[in-house]
This record gives sequence, structure tokens and C-alpha cells, in this order.
Amino acid sequence: MEFITKKPPIKSNQQRSYKRSLNLHISLIIISLAAILTRAFIAVPEGEVWLPDAMFKTFLMLLTGAFISVLIELLYSIGEGKSHEFSNYKRLVDPINTGLIIALLLPTSTPIYVLLLAVIIGVYAGKIVFGGNGYYIFNPALVGVLFVNLSFANQITYGETPLVLLKNALAGQTYTLKLLDLFVGNYAAIAIGSTSVILLVVIFAYLLVTRVIDLRISGTFILTILIVSAGIGFVNFGTASGLMWQYVLVNMITGLTMFAAVFLVSESVSSPTSRETKMIYAVVVAILTMTVRTLGAEIEGIVFAILFGNMITPFLNRTVKRSNKKIFIRTSIILLVVVIFTGFALGFIVQSRLQEIFSAAVIGGLF
Amino acid sequence: MITDNRQYLEPKKVYIPLTDKTSKIANLKVAAQDNVLTGQIIAEKFNGKIKTPVISTISGTVIGFEERLDRFGKIIDHAIIENDFKDRSIELKPLEDEVAPAMIRNRLTECGIDQLTVDGIYTDIDFSRPVKHIIINAIYTNEPFISKDYEFIKKHAEEIADGITLLGIASHAETMTLIVDKFMDEETVDNLGKATVDKGIEVVIINSKKVQAWDYKIAKKLVNETLSNNLLDNQIIYTSVFAAKVTHDAVRLGIPLTKRQIAITGDAYKVNTLYEVRIGTPLSEISEELGGYDETSDLNIHVGSFLTGYQLESDEFSITASVDSINVSSLRIEKEEVCIKCGDCNDICPAGILPQNIMDAELRNVNSRIVDLNTHECVECGLCTYVCPSKINVLEWVRRAKRRVG
Repeated sequence: MEFITKKPPIKSNQQRSYKRSLNLHISLIIISLAAILTRAFIAVPEGEVWLPDAMFKTFLMLLTGAFISVLIELLYSIGEGKSHEFSNYKRLVDPINTGLIIALLLPTSTPIYVLLLAVIIGVYAGKIVFGGNGYYIFNPALVGVLFVNLSFANQITYGETPLVLLKNALAGQTYTLKLLDLFVGNYAAIAIGSTSVILLVVIFAYLLVTRVIDLRISGTFILTILIVSAGIGFVNFGTASGLMWQYVLVNMITGLTMFAAVFLVSESVSSPTSRETKMIYAVVVAILTMTVRTLGAEIEGIVFAILFGNMITPFLNRTVKRSNKKIFIRTSIILLVVVIFTGFALGFIVQSRLQEIFSAAVIGGLF
Repeated sequence: MITDNRQYLEPKKVYIPLTDKTSKIANLKVAAQDNVLTGQIIAEKFNGKIKTPVISTISGTVIGFEERLDRFGKIIDHAIIENDFKDRSIELKPLEDEVAPAMIRNRLTECGIDQLTVDGIYTDIDFSRPVKHIIINAIYTNEPFISKDYEFIKKHAEEIADGITLLGIASHAETMTLIVDKFMDEETVDNLGKATVDKGIEVVIINSKKVQAWDYKIAKKLVNETLSNNLLDNQIIYTSVFAAKVTHDAVRLGIPLTKRQIAITGDAYKVNTLYEVRIGTPLSEISEELGGYDETSDLNIHVGSFLTGYQLESDEFSITASVDSINVSSLRIEKEEVCIKCGDCNDICPAGILPQNIMDAELRNVNSRIVDLNTHECVECGLCTYVCPSKINVLEWVRRAKRRVG
């Protein structure tokens, strides 16, 4: 009798790409629900927005984001003659993920038409143009968000977020923050997605176990933010007062740090593929984030940083030839030195004391 | 799940392939209608200058020669021998106690022991080049996928240990390593431990449930240099416990290699069994003995390890000494998804190269990049395909890249 042949290996493990995106989908839905609920705590300025209004607006934004994203992909696939794929929920998971992330990266005050534009730019120009899921070179959600952040800066407003307070603190102002509020997400957030850090940590662990995110990217990212902010805090506030550790803590748990570590940095398609380059990528993204946060005009630098990371990904991929323990350890040590140095350098730049330090080091050493 | 232990030692005819994976030319030593004894040399095959004999596995009459499919999927010449059911064997003197290396080598050649393991990075038993290390794998080839009781090792532990020592003497090896499994039952490990103690054999325990090229890592630790596709280049002989057992039989008892224990598994059979068969028996005869196939769906035959074995179009091939497991089951095809660039293949690659980047370079037809990425170091272990969450046959792309740059 005849037998059918297939190229070996004929056996594979239980990991599936689809299961990974489904896990991400579930996590995003949980975060979305949490985001809607946390709106109920946040104190809004007197007479500006009615509280249930903010909750409903959040819900509406998330729904619109997901719906429009699916709609654009559906319209495109009708043009391609592949619309029958959409009868399966499997095909909907990825567009919904992108739509939800875009909505989660914008503040509640965003007008719906701005969100619409963000989704259209992100899904069409960021994803479909490159060939859909698996082929894009920039994180599609961030492309859309960057576009509206630059073009509609006046429409996108947020209150006194902790990061704004920190920026002012570096200039010498004082501020007060309640730690418990920061942990549960009860503060004026820069985006819908920056909710309770406790929930984000739980989801971080879940996605790590299901291997959706890579510890070498997300872990390095968090660690770098920690070290760099500690460096800046040390130079500006010193160890004596608790301000240094407060600076580190606020940088870690507010803004989009944890949200990015869970959903953005470790996005596999637009990040590098080998161990060493993954770590370099995470360090570059984290350093740029902190640079924008401390020196830039923007409050949150994560969108720029990750898009820059995506930009250099092909270059990073091209530089590696092999991957082994020796190279891995060497890369780790070099990165650690770079990160610590950057932390202190940023601290001095903030105080405009770099020239002074330089003179002291060079001229003092010479004469 | 293997439930039965069976024997099929008296086929009417055997079909003995005259060449194998490495030796491609053969000189006949018998003619049609000649009477042969068990263990008699019927041909000599050549791998370059190295000559190894092909022996008859039954006694009887040579009734002709035929081109047939062999277990590697190639059409080659086979000698057909009709069984006279008398089992008259050639006489070989048992060698006791201290044996000179040259005597062991000659005896192994006489008994037709050269190519016993071909899957993955296993090597032939080849003494033509200097050898420093001997690695013996006591784990069943398809261990994580097909579970098996270790009756064979339990029963023959002493003989295996002796065989390993003999192989060590024959090759003047510096180290002898035995790889055992963390999940072996206690009795097997006990017997092996008792047998190998004081013989200079190092026992390495690995966790076979985690699929990650343990043997490659052990070999690399031994030689501390980049491994080539053929471990013989790195002065290593890497083979299975079956080879140690037949070495002992050939040297100490003077029994030529005529039988092979194989595992026949898969959902196409009613029972999955451990078979002791005469070398040269076609698989179709054994399948008939097992009650035929369940032909409700498309079937495929897989010979050897699930990650690195061979797939064949017909079951008419004869079982050789290098077949250790055969799987006949309904076709498993999973839909390929797009590469999500997760880098799992880059992490698992035991050779430390980057399969995802090689695949990318191959898709973009960049030859210089393929050379840059050390593609030639790939040992085709198949782990990149095993771990891929998108079910892409990464190994096939790497193979293509390898072929492209030579």
C-alpha cells in the first residue's frame, strides 16, 4: 500500500502562536475592565466631568478602538477576498488586541474622532501596509498613538499626573503623593491603561508563565528603568531624604512603565529574535524612555522609545552571528555598565552640571 | 504505549541491503544458488578505502539479487536469501578475559557490527580514525514520545557494561560516558550502576522529559570545541546500549549480529510491541503478523527518532541493524502560521546558531548572510521545528540554506 510522506520532524511541543495571542487577548480584556472600574475612584476637578461620564467614556473608547480595528481589517480582507476567515473568532483576536492597546494608550479626555484616526493610522499604515500580522516592523498600536500625540496635542489633555509632578520636582518644586493610591491606580493617569500596578504585576506573571512575553526583554526593561531612575534620584536628591526612593518608586509604578513591560516592549514581531539583541533592545528602549521623561518636552517617552527600538531592530538582528553563554554574559556586563553610567549622566544633565563635572574630571586631573 | 514483547526470527526469505548510509559501493562474494551459513560474508561494502563486510543473517540459499527500497528511502541492491530453517552458523571462537584491541576490532568487523545507530548525531562504530571518547546512550531514541520499559537493559546490564569496556579497549578511548534517564525505574538504574562500577565508566543522568539535545551538550563538554556534523571528526564514538550488548556477544560468545530489537508503534496497529526480528525481514511481513493496518485514514511510516528520522513511501523495506523504532500512524499535519519572531528556536539551538535569522536570510536569498550566520554548524537535530509555536518547519529552511551555500 502507499504511504504519505512529510518532512520530519513530525512531533512538536504544545506551544501555539494562537494560544499566545489568545492569552494576550484575555489579559487585555481584564486590564480594560480594570481601567473602566478605576475611573470610578479618580477625583475629577469640580464641575468638569460627571463621574459616570468618565466611566462610560472609557468604555466607549475601548469599544470603538476594538470595533474600528476589526472593521478596517474586515474591509481590507473583503478586498482581498478572504473575508470568510472572519467567521472564526480566531481571526478577530489580533485586530481586537491592537484596537484595545491603542485605546488604552490614550487618556479619557481624548475625543472619539482622534481615537478613530489613531486606530485607522495604526491598523492601516502600521499593520496592513506591511502585510498584516507577523510582518509589520513597527508596533502598529504605537504608530497610531504617536500620530495623534503629535497631531492632536491640544485635544489630548491630562491633569497633574505623578510624572508631571516628578518633572516639576526635578526643577525644585515639592509635591505629595499617597502611596496606596498609586498602587491601586487612583490618580490622574496619563492614559487609560496605566491602572493598578498590582493587577499589572499579576498579569505580567501570568503572561510570563504562558510565554507570551519574554523575561529577557520585559525584565531587562524594568531593571533598567529602576537603575536609571535610581541614578537620577541619587544625583538630584541624595540618599539622605526619602525623595530618591520616592522618585524611583513613582517612576516604576506610575506612567506607562508596567503597562509597557507587559504589553508593548515584549511584542514579539517587532522586537529582535536572539537573547543578546533582546537585552540590548530593552536597554535602549528603557534609557530613551527615561531620557524623554527627564529632559524632553513630553511627559511620557515610552511611545517614542519603543518605536525607536523597533526602528533599530533590523540593525540589531543583523549584528548577531551566533548566540552562546560567553557572548550572553559579556553583553550583560557591558549593558549593566552602560545603564549605571547613563543613570548618573542623566542626573547631572538634569542639573546642567555635566560641564562642571567634566571640567572637574579632566582639568582637575590634568592640573 | 508498548504492551507486548514478541519475536519474529524465522522469516521465509530475508532481503539484505548490500550498501548503507555511508558505504555506497559493494563487491559481491557469493553467486545465486550458493549455500550460505549464518554469519557468512556475502559482500564487502566500501566507504572510500574502508572495507566492511555484509553478512548473511540466516542459513540457506542465495536465490537472487533485486533492487528494492531500503530504510533510507533509496533504491539499492539487495541479496535475497531463502531460509532452510536449520540455522547452521559459522564458528567463531569466544575470546575470554584480556583481549587485544586489534582482536576486538577484527571480531566486530567479522560480525558485521558497524552501522547500528544513524539518528541525529549518533555515529557508526568506526575505528579507522583515532577516537578519544565513547558515549553510550541508554535512553530509548524516542523516549519522551514513546515510553518503554527497560527490560532489555535490566536483563543485560552486565553485558552492556562489558561491551562498553570492550569498545573502550578497541578504540584506546580516554573516557567512557553512559547517559541514563532521570525517569528510569530503580531496578534498571541499580543494575546498570552495579555493572558499571569500577570500570571507569562515567554515568550522566539527564531529564529526558525536557527535550533539549542533551547528548550534544555532553559531547561538547567532553571535547570543548565546536562539534561537526559527524562526531567522528571530533574523535567521539556515540552509540546506543544495543551496540554495547552486541559487541559483548560478538567478542565473548562469538555470535554474529543477526537479530535486532525494535519498537513498532503507532495508531495504525492494533497492538504496539517490542519485536525481536531477524535482520533483513521486510516490515510488511511483520505488519501482517501484527494483523495489518487500520486503513481508515492516510498513513505515514516514520523510521527512527521523531525529530530526525526518515519517512518512507512503502513498507517493503527490510529491517537493518540501524532500525531501532518504526512508527506507523495517521498523518499529523498542523497548519503553518506566520512566524511571530519569538526567538524560541534561537534559544534552544544546541549549536548556538540562529535558525530564525537563517530562515529570514534564506527567504531573502542573501547568500553572504547565510555564510555569516555559521549555517554549516547545524547538526539537523530538529529542535527548532519542535519548539516553533507557529509550527513552521524551520529545520527545512535551514537545510535549504545549507544546501544553497554548500
